[in-house]
Amino acid sequence: NQCKQRRKFNFCTDCNSKTHSADRCPNIWRSYITLPQNKAHKFKYPADLIYCYNCAERGHYGDECLQQRVSKTPNINGSAFTGENLPRELRRQYHS
Amino acid sequence: SLDFKTGNNNPRYPWIRNNDHSKQIEISDWLTMEIKDFIKYISPSAEEIQARNNTVGRLRECITGMWPDAEVHCFGSFATDLYLPGSDIDMVVVSKARNNKYDNRSSLYQLSSYIRNNKLGINVETIAKAKVPIIKFVDPATKIHIDISFERTNGIKAAELIISWIKDTPGLRELVLIVKQFLAVRRLNVVHTGGLGGFATICLVRSFLKLHPRMATRSIDPLENLGVLLIEFFELYGYNFGYDNTVVAFDEDGDPYYVSKNSNAAFQNRNPFTLAIQDPHDKNNNISRGTFNLRDIKRAFGGAFELLVNKCYDMNQATYKERLGQSVLGDIIKYKGKQRDFEDA
Ligand SMILES: [Zn+2]
Ligand SMILES: [Zn+2]
Repeated sequence: NQCKQRRKFNFCTDCNSKTHSADRCPNIWRSYITLPQNKAHKFKYPADLIYCYNCAERGHYGDECLQQRVSKTPNINGSAFTGENLPRELRRQYHS
Repeated sequence: SLDFKTGNNNPRYPWIRNNDHSKQIEISDWLTMEIKDFIKYISPSAEEIQARNNTVGRLRECITGMWPDAEVHCFGSFATDLYLPGSDIDMVVVSKARNNKYDNRSSLYQLSSYIRNNKLGINVETIAKAKVPIIKFVDPATKIHIDISFERTNGIKAAELIISWIKDTPGLRELVLIVKQFLAVRRLNVVHTGGLGGFATICLVRSFLKLHPRMATRSIDPLENLGVLLIEFFELYGYNFGYDNTVVAFDEDGDPYYVSKNSNAAFQNRNPFTLAIQDPHDKNNNISRGTFNLRDIKRAFGGAFELLVNKCYDMNQATYKERLGQSVLGDIIKYKGKQRDFEDA
Protein backbone atom coordinates (compact mmCIF):
# COMPACT_ATOMS: atom_id res chain seq x y z
CA ASN A 1 0.00 0.00 0.00
CA GLN A 2 2.73 2.43 1.02
CA CYS A 3 4.70 1.36 -2.01
CA LYS A 4 1.84 2.30 -4.31
CA GLN A 5 1.54 5.74 -2.77
CA ARG A 6 5.23 6.30 -3.13
CA ARG A 7 5.24 5.51 -6.79
CA LYS A 8 2.39 7.93 -7.33
CA PHE A 9 4.31 10.69 -5.54
CA ASN A 10 7.55 10.09 -7.38
CA PHE A 11 6.55 9.69 -10.98
CA CYS A 12 5.28 12.37 -13.35
CA THR A 13 3.08 11.11 -16.17
CA ASP A 14 3.52 14.45 -17.92
CA CYS A 15 7.30 14.67 -18.26
CA ASN A 16 8.38 11.17 -17.07
CA SER A 17 10.38 12.70 -14.23
CA LYS A 18 10.91 10.70 -11.06
CA THR A 19 11.29 13.80 -8.88
CA HIS A 20 7.65 14.90 -8.70
CA SER A 21 4.07 13.82 -9.40
CA ALA A 22 2.05 15.12 -12.35
CA ASP A 23 0.05 17.55 -10.20
CA ARG A 24 3.30 19.22 -9.14
CA CYS A 25 5.03 19.21 -12.52
CA PRO A 26 7.08 22.36 -13.24
CA ASN A 27 5.67 22.25 -16.78
CA ILE A 28 2.46 23.58 -15.21
CA TRP A 29 4.13 26.98 -14.76
CA ARG A 30 7.31 26.80 -16.85
CA SER A 31 5.42 27.30 -20.08
CA TYR A 32 6.58 30.09 -22.37
CA ILE A 33 4.72 31.91 -25.09
CA THR A 34 7.35 31.64 -27.83
CA LEU A 35 7.69 34.08 -30.69
CA PRO A 36 6.47 32.80 -34.04
CA GLN A 37 9.47 31.78 -36.17
CA ASN A 38 9.35 31.44 -39.92
CA LYS A 39 10.96 28.37 -41.47
CA ALA A 40 13.99 30.22 -42.78
CA HIS A 41 14.78 31.61 -39.34
CA LYS A 42 17.98 30.35 -37.78
CA PHE A 43 18.69 30.86 -34.10
CA LYS A 44 22.10 32.29 -33.33
CA TYR A 45 24.10 30.37 -30.75
CA PRO A 46 24.43 32.79 -27.77
CA ALA A 47 28.04 31.82 -26.98
CA ASP A 48 28.83 35.07 -25.17
CA LEU A 49 25.73 34.78 -22.97
CA ILE A 50 26.13 31.22 -21.68
CA TYR A 51 27.47 31.40 -18.12
CA CYS A 52 27.26 29.10 -15.13
CA TYR A 53 25.48 30.45 -12.02
CA ASN A 54 27.41 27.89 -9.95
CA CYS A 55 31.09 28.12 -10.99
CA ALA A 56 30.86 31.36 -13.03
CA GLU A 57 32.58 29.71 -16.05
CA ARG A 58 31.52 30.47 -19.59
CA GLY A 59 30.23 27.73 -21.90
CA HIS A 60 27.70 25.85 -19.81
CA TYR A 61 24.66 26.62 -17.65
CA GLY A 62 24.51 26.00 -13.92
CA ASP A 63 22.20 22.97 -14.23
CA GLU A 64 24.94 21.18 -16.21
CA CYS A 65 27.84 22.27 -13.98
CA LEU A 66 30.32 19.54 -13.11
CA GLN A 67 31.75 21.41 -10.14
CA GLN A 68 30.39 20.85 -6.66
CA ARG A 69 27.15 22.75 -6.06
CA VAL A 70 27.77 25.94 -4.11
CA SER A 71 24.20 26.70 -3.04
CA LYS A 72 22.97 24.76 -0.02
CA THR A 73 19.40 24.66 -1.34
CA PRO A 74 18.85 21.70 -3.68
CA ASN A 75 17.93 21.91 -7.36
CA ILE A 76 15.56 18.96 -7.64
CA ASN A 77 13.57 19.62 -10.79
CA GLY A 78 16.07 21.60 -12.85
CA SER A 79 15.89 25.32 -13.53
CA ALA A 80 15.60 27.82 -16.37
CA PHE A 81 19.39 27.81 -16.75
CA THR A 82 19.90 24.57 -18.65
CA GLY A 83 20.79 23.71 -22.25
CA GLU A 84 17.35 22.11 -22.45
CA ASN A 85 15.92 25.62 -22.44
CA LEU A 86 17.73 26.48 -25.69
CA PRO A 87 15.85 26.10 -28.98
CA ARG A 88 15.96 22.46 -30.12
CA GLU A 89 18.30 23.14 -33.03
CA LEU A 90 20.94 24.67 -30.73
CA ARG A 91 20.98 21.88 -28.16
CA ARG A 92 23.34 19.64 -30.13
CA GLN A 93 25.89 22.45 -30.34
CA TYR A 94 25.50 23.06 -26.61
CA HIS A 95 26.12 19.43 -25.73
CA SER A 96 29.10 19.04 -28.06
CA SER B 1 -6.18 23.95 0.68
CA LEU B 2 -7.65 26.85 -1.19
CA ASP B 3 -8.35 30.15 0.39
CA PHE B 4 -11.76 30.30 -1.19
CA LYS B 5 -13.40 33.64 -1.85
CA THR B 6 -16.18 34.47 -4.26
CA GLY B 7 -16.38 37.45 -6.56
CA ASN B 8 -13.47 39.40 -7.90
CA ASN B 9 -13.56 42.14 -5.30
CA ASN B 10 -11.18 40.49 -2.91
CA PRO B 11 -9.95 43.46 -0.87
CA ARG B 12 -6.59 41.82 -0.24
CA TYR B 13 -5.64 42.17 -3.88
CA PRO B 14 -7.02 45.54 -5.07
CA TRP B 15 -5.27 45.26 -8.43
CA ILE B 16 -7.45 42.31 -9.50
CA ARG B 17 -10.62 44.40 -9.16
CA ASN B 18 -12.48 44.20 -12.47
CA ASN B 19 -9.50 42.33 -13.94
CA ASP B 20 -10.33 38.68 -13.56
CA HIS B 21 -7.87 36.37 -15.33
CA SER B 22 -8.88 33.18 -13.58
CA LYS B 23 -10.14 31.70 -16.85
CA GLN B 24 -6.61 31.62 -18.30
CA ILE B 25 -5.73 28.05 -19.15
CA GLU B 26 -2.04 28.54 -18.46
CA ILE B 27 -1.38 29.74 -14.92
CA SER B 28 1.77 31.58 -16.01
CA ASP B 29 -0.34 33.66 -18.42
CA TRP B 30 -2.66 34.47 -15.55
CA LEU B 31 0.36 35.61 -13.51
CA THR B 32 1.67 37.67 -16.45
CA MET B 33 -1.64 39.54 -16.67
CA GLU B 34 -1.72 40.08 -12.94
CA ILE B 35 1.79 41.57 -13.02
CA LYS B 36 0.66 44.00 -15.72
CA ASP B 37 -2.44 44.93 -13.69
CA PHE B 38 -0.38 45.39 -10.55
CA ILE B 39 2.02 47.72 -12.36
CA LYS B 40 -0.87 49.70 -13.75
CA TYR B 41 -2.37 49.87 -10.26
CA ILE B 42 0.76 51.18 -8.53
CA SER B 43 1.72 53.54 -11.35
CA PRO B 44 1.14 57.17 -10.43
CA SER B 45 -1.72 59.05 -12.03
CA ALA B 46 -1.09 61.99 -14.35
CA GLU B 47 -1.90 64.33 -11.44
CA GLU B 48 0.60 62.62 -9.16
CA ILE B 49 3.31 62.82 -11.81
CA GLN B 50 2.50 66.50 -12.31
CA ALA B 51 2.66 67.16 -8.56
CA ARG B 52 6.06 65.45 -8.29
CA ASN B 53 7.40 67.38 -11.26
CA ASN B 54 6.12 70.65 -9.79
CA THR B 55 7.87 69.93 -6.50
CA VAL B 56 11.17 69.22 -8.26
CA GLY B 57 10.81 72.26 -10.53
CA ARG B 58 10.09 74.60 -7.62
CA LEU B 59 13.09 73.36 -5.64
CA ARG B 60 15.37 73.61 -8.65
CA GLU B 61 14.26 77.20 -9.26
CA CYS B 62 14.82 78.20 -5.64
CA ILE B 63 18.26 76.57 -5.38
CA THR B 64 19.59 77.94 -8.65
CA GLY B 65 18.09 81.32 -7.71
CA MET B 66 20.25 81.30 -4.59
CA TRP B 67 23.29 79.72 -6.31
CA PRO B 68 23.27 80.65 -10.03
CA ASP B 69 26.44 78.62 -10.74
CA ALA B 70 24.80 75.40 -9.49
CA GLU B 71 22.83 72.67 -11.27
CA VAL B 72 20.19 70.54 -9.61
CA HIS B 73 19.78 66.96 -10.82
CA CYS B 74 17.49 64.11 -9.87
CA PHE B 75 18.76 60.56 -9.63
CA GLY B 76 17.49 57.31 -8.12
CA SER B 77 14.08 55.84 -8.77
CA PHE B 78 12.43 59.18 -9.53
CA ALA B 79 14.86 59.89 -12.39
CA THR B 80 14.53 56.37 -13.85
CA ASP B 81 10.75 56.08 -13.50
CA LEU B 82 11.16 53.03 -11.26
CA TYR B 83 9.55 54.49 -8.17
CA LEU B 84 6.84 52.96 -6.07
CA PRO B 85 4.10 55.10 -4.51
CA GLY B 86 5.65 56.87 -1.55
CA SER B 87 9.24 56.57 -2.80
CA ASP B 88 11.68 59.36 -1.94
CA ILE B 89 12.95 61.88 -4.46
CA ASP B 90 16.76 62.00 -4.60
CA MET B 91 18.32 65.28 -5.70
CA VAL B 92 21.90 66.46 -5.95
CA VAL B 93 23.38 69.96 -6.17
CA VAL B 94 26.41 70.13 -8.47
CA SER B 95 28.53 73.17 -9.34
CA LYS B 96 28.42 73.90 -13.07
CA ALA B 97 32.21 74.17 -13.12
CA ARG B 98 32.42 70.69 -11.49
CA ASN B 99 34.82 72.12 -8.90
CA ASN B 100 33.09 70.65 -5.81
CA LYS B 101 32.28 74.18 -4.70
CA TYR B 102 29.21 73.02 -2.78
CA ASP B 103 30.82 70.03 -1.12
CA ASN B 104 31.13 71.58 2.36
CA ARG B 105 29.25 72.10 5.60
CA SER B 106 28.47 75.76 5.06
CA SER B 107 26.60 75.00 1.81
CA LEU B 108 24.75 72.22 3.58
CA TYR B 109 23.62 74.51 6.42
CA GLN B 110 22.93 77.43 4.09
CA LEU B 111 20.54 75.35 1.99
CA SER B 112 18.85 73.69 4.95
CA SER B 113 18.04 77.01 6.60
CA TYR B 114 16.88 78.38 3.25
CA ILE B 115 14.47 75.43 2.93
CA ARG B 116 13.26 75.88 6.49
CA ASN B 117 12.89 79.68 6.29
CA ASN B 118 11.07 79.66 2.97
CA LYS B 119 8.77 76.80 4.07
CA LEU B 120 9.93 74.65 1.14
CA GLY B 121 10.05 71.65 3.43
CA ILE B 122 8.82 70.37 6.76
CA ASN B 123 10.72 68.15 9.22
CA VAL B 124 14.00 69.44 7.78
CA GLU B 125 16.95 67.37 9.00
CA THR B 126 20.57 68.17 8.23
CA ILE B 127 22.81 65.13 8.36
CA ALA B 128 26.34 66.52 8.25
CA LYS B 129 28.35 63.70 9.77
CA ALA B 130 27.39 60.92 7.31
CA LYS B 131 29.72 59.67 4.58
CA VAL B 132 27.40 61.45 2.17
CA PRO B 133 26.06 64.56 3.99
CA ILE B 134 22.43 65.23 3.10
CA ILE B 135 19.41 67.35 3.85
CA LYS B 136 16.20 65.39 4.39
CA PHE B 137 12.76 66.94 4.44
CA VAL B 138 9.14 66.44 3.48
CA ASP B 139 7.53 68.40 0.67
CA PRO B 140 4.57 70.26 2.22
CA ALA B 141 2.39 69.92 -0.91
CA THR B 142 2.82 66.23 -1.77
CA LYS B 143 4.21 64.88 1.56
CA ILE B 144 6.95 63.20 -0.46
CA HIS B 145 10.30 62.69 1.29
CA ILE B 146 13.18 64.47 -0.40
CA ASP B 147 16.93 63.93 0.04
CA ILE B 148 19.41 66.52 -1.25
CA SER B 149 23.12 65.71 -1.49
CA PHE B 150 26.03 67.75 -2.85
CA GLU B 151 28.54 67.26 -5.65
CA ARG B 152 28.01 63.49 -5.95
CA THR B 153 27.72 62.66 -9.63
CA ASN B 154 27.72 58.82 -9.28
CA GLY B 155 23.96 58.77 -8.91
CA ILE B 156 23.44 60.84 -12.05
CA LYS B 157 25.71 58.52 -14.04
CA ALA B 158 23.91 55.45 -12.68
CA ALA B 159 20.51 56.95 -13.56
CA GLU B 160 21.64 57.54 -17.16
CA LEU B 161 22.82 53.93 -17.40
CA ILE B 162 19.56 52.59 -15.95
CA ILE B 163 17.49 54.65 -18.39
CA SER B 164 19.46 53.15 -21.31
CA TRP B 165 19.06 49.63 -19.86
CA ILE B 166 15.30 50.03 -19.54
CA LYS B 167 15.20 51.03 -23.21
CA ASP B 168 17.26 48.06 -24.39
CA THR B 169 15.78 45.41 -22.07
CA PRO B 170 12.01 44.98 -22.35
CA GLY B 171 10.58 43.42 -19.20
CA LEU B 172 13.27 44.98 -17.00
CA ARG B 173 11.06 47.76 -15.71
CA GLU B 174 8.13 45.45 -14.95
CA LEU B 175 10.16 42.82 -13.08
CA VAL B 176 12.16 45.44 -11.18
CA LEU B 177 8.97 47.12 -9.93
CA ILE B 178 7.57 43.79 -8.70
CA VAL B 179 10.84 42.74 -7.02
CA LYS B 180 11.23 46.19 -5.44
CA GLN B 181 7.71 46.05 -4.02
CA PHE B 182 8.36 42.49 -2.80
CA LEU B 183 11.52 43.64 -0.98
CA ALA B 184 9.96 46.86 0.33
CA VAL B 185 7.12 45.02 2.08
CA ARG B 186 9.72 42.89 3.87
CA ARG B 187 11.97 45.88 4.65
CA LEU B 188 14.73 44.14 2.70
CA ASN B 189 15.28 47.13 0.39
CA VAL B 190 17.08 49.35 2.91
CA VAL B 191 20.81 49.30 2.27
CA HIS B 192 21.90 50.57 5.69
CA THR B 193 20.21 47.60 7.34
CA GLY B 194 21.88 45.16 4.94
CA GLY B 195 19.12 45.09 2.35
CA LEU B 196 19.22 45.11 -1.43
CA GLY B 197 19.29 48.62 -2.93
CA GLY B 198 17.52 49.77 -6.06
CA PHE B 199 20.55 49.71 -8.34
CA ALA B 200 21.60 46.24 -7.14
CA THR B 201 18.05 44.98 -7.76
CA ILE B 202 18.16 46.37 -11.30
CA CYS B 203 21.54 44.69 -11.92
CA LEU B 204 20.22 41.31 -10.73
CA VAL B 205 17.07 41.49 -12.86
CA ARG B 206 18.95 42.64 -15.96
CA SER B 207 21.63 39.98 -15.63
CA PHE B 208 18.92 37.32 -15.15
CA LEU B 209 17.00 38.50 -18.23
CA LYS B 210 20.00 38.84 -20.54
CA LEU B 211 21.56 35.47 -19.63
CA HIS B 212 18.27 33.53 -19.68
CA PRO B 213 18.53 30.91 -22.49
CA ARG B 214 15.15 31.86 -23.99
CA MET B 215 16.01 35.56 -23.87
CA ALA B 216 19.58 35.14 -25.13
CA THR B 217 18.25 33.36 -28.22
CA ARG B 218 15.39 35.81 -28.65
CA SER B 219 12.86 33.00 -28.69
CA ILE B 220 10.40 34.75 -26.35
CA ASP B 221 8.97 38.23 -25.85
CA PRO B 222 9.58 38.99 -22.17
CA LEU B 223 6.43 41.10 -21.88
CA GLU B 224 4.35 38.06 -22.85
CA ASN B 225 6.20 35.89 -20.32
CA LEU B 226 6.48 38.06 -17.21
CA GLY B 227 4.83 35.39 -15.04
CA VAL B 228 7.21 32.53 -15.74
CA LEU B 229 10.17 34.95 -15.76
CA LEU B 230 9.26 36.27 -12.30
CA ILE B 231 9.12 32.72 -10.93
CA GLU B 232 12.45 31.93 -12.58
CA PHE B 233 14.04 35.09 -11.15
CA PHE B 234 13.14 33.81 -7.66
CA GLU B 235 14.32 30.31 -8.65
CA LEU B 236 17.76 31.62 -9.67
CA TYR B 237 18.48 33.93 -6.75
CA GLY B 238 16.50 32.01 -4.12
CA TYR B 239 17.82 28.54 -4.92
CA ASN B 240 20.58 28.11 -7.42
CA PHE B 241 22.90 31.10 -7.59
CA GLY B 242 26.38 30.28 -6.25
CA TYR B 243 26.81 33.42 -4.16
CA ASP B 244 30.07 32.15 -2.57
CA ASN B 245 31.69 31.94 -5.97
CA THR B 246 29.97 34.03 -8.59
CA VAL B 247 30.12 37.76 -9.30
CA VAL B 248 27.48 39.47 -11.47
CA ALA B 249 29.58 41.63 -13.81
CA PHE B 250 29.06 43.92 -16.81
CA ASP B 251 31.36 44.50 -19.77
CA GLU B 252 32.09 47.84 -21.50
CA ASP B 253 28.84 47.58 -23.45
CA GLY B 254 26.89 46.91 -20.27
CA ASP B 255 26.31 43.26 -21.22
CA PRO B 256 26.21 41.00 -18.17
CA TYR B 257 28.44 38.02 -17.52
CA TYR B 258 29.63 36.04 -14.52
CA VAL B 259 33.12 36.01 -13.15
CA SER B 260 34.60 34.06 -10.25
CA LYS B 261 35.26 35.94 -7.01
CA ASN B 262 38.81 34.57 -7.11
CA SER B 263 39.58 36.80 -10.06
CA ASN B 264 39.44 40.06 -8.12
CA ALA B 265 40.41 40.84 -4.52
CA ALA B 266 37.69 43.50 -4.41
CA PHE B 267 35.08 40.72 -4.35
CA GLN B 268 36.63 38.57 -1.65
CA ASN B 269 35.26 38.75 1.82
CA ARG B 270 35.86 36.96 5.11
CA ASN B 271 32.33 35.62 4.78
CA PRO B 272 32.12 33.96 1.33
CA PHE B 273 28.31 34.03 1.36
CA THR B 274 28.03 37.65 0.22
CA LEU B 275 26.45 39.17 -2.84
CA ALA B 276 28.94 40.54 -5.37
CA ILE B 277 27.83 42.86 -8.17
CA GLN B 278 30.54 44.62 -10.12
CA ASP B 279 29.94 48.33 -10.57
CA PRO B 280 29.46 48.87 -14.33
CA HIS B 281 31.47 52.09 -13.97
CA ASP B 282 34.27 50.76 -11.74
CA LYS B 283 35.60 47.21 -12.07
CA ASN B 284 36.99 47.23 -8.53
CA ASN B 285 33.82 48.31 -6.78
CA ASN B 286 31.21 45.93 -5.44
CA ILE B 287 27.95 47.88 -5.50
CA SER B 288 26.26 45.39 -3.15
CA ARG B 289 28.99 45.61 -0.49
CA GLY B 290 26.42 46.88 2.01
CA THR B 291 23.99 43.98 1.45
CA PHE B 292 25.12 42.00 4.49
CA ASN B 293 21.70 40.46 5.04
CA LEU B 294 21.95 38.11 2.06
CA ARG B 295 20.68 35.19 4.12
CA ASP B 296 17.25 36.78 4.60
CA ILE B 297 17.11 38.03 1.01
CA LYS B 298 17.90 34.58 -0.41
CA ARG B 299 15.40 33.00 1.96
CA ALA B 300 12.71 35.52 0.95
CA PHE B 301 13.35 34.88 -2.77
CA GLY B 302 13.26 31.11 -2.18
CA GLY B 303 10.03 31.49 -0.22
CA ALA B 304 8.49 33.54 -3.03
CA PHE B 305 9.40 30.79 -5.49
CA GLU B 306 7.74 28.17 -3.27
CA LEU B 307 4.59 30.23 -2.75
CA LEU B 308 4.22 31.05 -6.44
CA VAL B 309 4.72 27.51 -7.74
CA ASN B 310 2.46 26.03 -5.06
CA LYS B 311 -0.23 28.54 -5.99
CA CYS B 312 0.21 27.52 -9.64
CA TYR B 313 -0.21 23.84 -8.73
CA ASP B 314 -3.29 24.60 -6.61
CA MET B 315 -4.88 26.81 -9.26
CA ASN B 316 -4.11 24.26 -11.95
CA GLN B 317 -6.25 21.72 -10.11
CA ALA B 318 -8.96 24.14 -9.00
CA THR B 319 -12.30 24.51 -10.75
CA TYR B 320 -13.09 27.80 -12.48
CA LYS B 321 -15.49 28.59 -9.65
CA GLU B 322 -12.75 28.06 -7.08
CA ARG B 323 -10.35 30.21 -9.07
CA LEU B 324 -12.67 33.20 -9.14
CA GLY B 325 -11.38 36.10 -7.03
CA GLN B 326 -8.05 34.39 -6.47
CA SER B 327 -4.73 36.11 -7.01
CA VAL B 328 -1.53 34.30 -7.96
CA LEU B 329 0.65 37.31 -7.20
CA GLY B 330 -1.19 38.13 -3.96
CA ASP B 331 0.67 35.54 -1.89
CA ILE B 332 3.94 37.39 -2.34
CA ILE B 333 2.86 41.01 -2.82
CA LYS B 334 0.90 42.89 -0.23
CA TYR B 335 0.03 46.39 -1.19
CA LYS B 336 -1.29 49.14 0.99
CA GLY B 337 -1.74 51.92 -1.47
CA LYS B 338 -3.58 55.05 -2.27
CA GLN B 339 -6.95 53.39 -1.73
CA ARG B 340 -6.92 53.41 2.05
CA ASP B 341 -10.28 51.73 2.28
CA PHE B 342 -8.51 48.52 1.36
CA GLU B 343 -7.22 46.66 4.32
CA ASP B 344 -3.68 45.41 4.19
CA ALA B 345 -3.47 41.75 5.05
ZN1 LIG C 1 6.68 16.54 -14.69
ZN1 LIG D 1 29.80 25.50 -13.83
